[in-house]
Amino acid sequence: MKSFFRFLYELIGSPQPPSETPVYREVIFPNVGLLTLAISLALVLVFYYLINRAMGVATFNKGRHWAIFLIANAIIAFIIALVQCNSQQVAEHSYVYWLATLNAVYGLLWFFLFSLILRRGSTNASTTPF
Amino acid sequence: MNLPPRLHFPSTFAAVLLLLTGCYSREDVKTEGGVSEQRVENDLTTMPRDNAKVAPDQGAPNVAVEETAASTAPLTQVNVFLEVSGSMEGFMPKPGADASNTRFQQQVAQFLSELNNSPAVGRKTYYRIKERPYRDSYQQLSGTVRGGIKEPASSTDIPTVLDTLASNYYAPNTVSVLISDFIYSPRNTGAIPYIKTDITDAISRAQRSDLAMSVYGFTSDFQGAFYPAIKTGAKKVANCCDTDIPYYFWVIGPQDAVRRFDAALLARQSAQQIHFGIKYPQPSASLLNKYQNKGSWYYGEKTASKRAAGATYYTVAVQEASPQNPVEFVLGLNLSTMPALYRDLAYLKQNLQLIGQDTDARIVNVAAATDQTRASSGPENQYTHFVKVRLTKMARASRSLQVVLKDARPAWVSQWTTQNDSNIDQVGPKTFAFASLIDGVATAIGNGQKSPAVFQIPLTLEPAK
Repeated sequence: MKSFFRFLYELIGSPQPPSETPVYREVIFPNVGLLTLAISLALVLVFYYLINRAMGVATFNKGRHWAIFLIANAIIAFIIALVQCNSQQVAEHSYVYWLATLNAVYGLLWFFLFSLILRRGSTNASTTPF
Repeated sequence: MNLPPRLHFPSTFAAVLLLLTGCYSREDVKTEGGVSEQRVENDLTTMPRDNAKVAPDQGAPNVAVEETAASTAPLTQVNVFLEVSGSMEGFMPKPGADASNTRFQQQVAQFLSELNNSPAVGRKTYYRIKERPYRDSYQQLSGTVRGGIKEPASSTDIPTVLDTLASNYYAPNTVSVLISDFIYSPRNTGAIPYIKTDITDAISRAQRSDLAMSVYGFTSDFQGAFYPAIKTGAKKVANCCDTDIPYYFWVIGPQDAVRRFDAALLARQSAQQIHFGIKYPQPSASLLNKYQNKGSWYYGEKTASKRAAGATYYTVAVQEASPQNPVEFVLGLNLSTMPALYRDLAYLKQNLQLIGQDTDARIVNVAAATDQTRASSGPENQYTHFVKVRLTKMARASRSLQVVLKDARPAWVSQWTTQNDSNIDQVGPKTFAFASLIDGVATAIGNGQKSPAVFQIPLTLEPAK
């Protein structure tokens, strides 16, 4: 699992400054990766199964509503990376923001993939976003 | 159940915030370490005072903290030998009307007093050395130092004295301290080339495998007759000297006892020094990844990500090293428990070596701690010296490196040596054939082999995975 996240997050190059590499690889990448996956899944479940099935909300199933969740998820993913780096007290470096941006992109990707898989189970939004 | 969906956002965000606190947190480890560190520091500052009040015989509090309980216990016994031959009279002139004394009197009297009051030693015995050692009390010996020698011995033979100390006064946990000018004049000049051999024989005769020696060199003004070893001119120079004359403390005993005695009672003396046969515990050391580091490298240890307080690291994982992007790393050393000689920056710069194969790593700088490093919040505040290493290429497999402090002879030994002391005022503060005496000691204690390292710290260079 660690090597999977390391592969994902080192697509933009190895961590900077180099002295923080062990902390990024052993702590921050797995934490951020797992949290982003879990939150993306949770938001997909909230959108398709809570709002558009269990609660039966009829007016929150359009593509733009889905997009609100998608963007919210990306913002959360960005914040997760910043918070994790901050709590691990790594040396300040612009790399932290590159990592956060990359994680936001992964947030978008996970949310999209989970939507494709799980949308069929929804009653009101099984065809959202398309 | 037609609730507007935005009512549910707060609860979603609360769940997110809970998740955000993370799984692999090391926050707890860190605060715990910080607290205990502070506590140790407080203990250290209060301990000596408490010890002095409550239990004055509980050992020297200044000796290394890391050592085991056994080695911080007081020494069983110290024998102090003061040479009282005629040649020593100039160091201990009878007090004149102007109440002036020599630096020898000042320093030796103070040393004897410190020793006599020291909790680091159990029993203290005092001797005057004439043809053989005569037992004195502290008061008698201190009185001799202050008031002058009453019945000077004709002369004392250094090899005989050393033989006596190594044979008869050698005991576990016991050291002998010999205070003398160490002017060795063989009876006939034909023996002069064999001074080294005579000394080696004298020390080796008892065959003490654990024997160690520390030599401390001092200088003092000198008021009296000087007896040169080379008697081509006068047999004695009356009303000498315009120059200072060296005198020495030789500490002889089992290596462990000598090391502890040095640390407890001679660490603060501003003397020249050289040590033989003492094995020092390896000083604490660690790589520092945020102190003057350059290039792409990180700690190669598996535990590096935990960053526990006080952890030490010895592995450098090199991502990239080239002449354009060299890797520079700093090794912090805590040499505070070592004798002053091995803390001396000039000595370290000359004798610290980096040994490794198939690497161009080399030491580019050795620096001592500054106020800035001591006040730093980083791990560099624990170290007294910093060794900076640079490398510009990295092999494909890991390589071991060693930072070694060579046990080289300090320069003062040859500077304090003269081959002819018949005109001492022009020669200056030097001792006849002193280097030969030291050669003899080195041969006897080092068994003639190349002296081993004072300490060595193994490091590992590895390519980043």
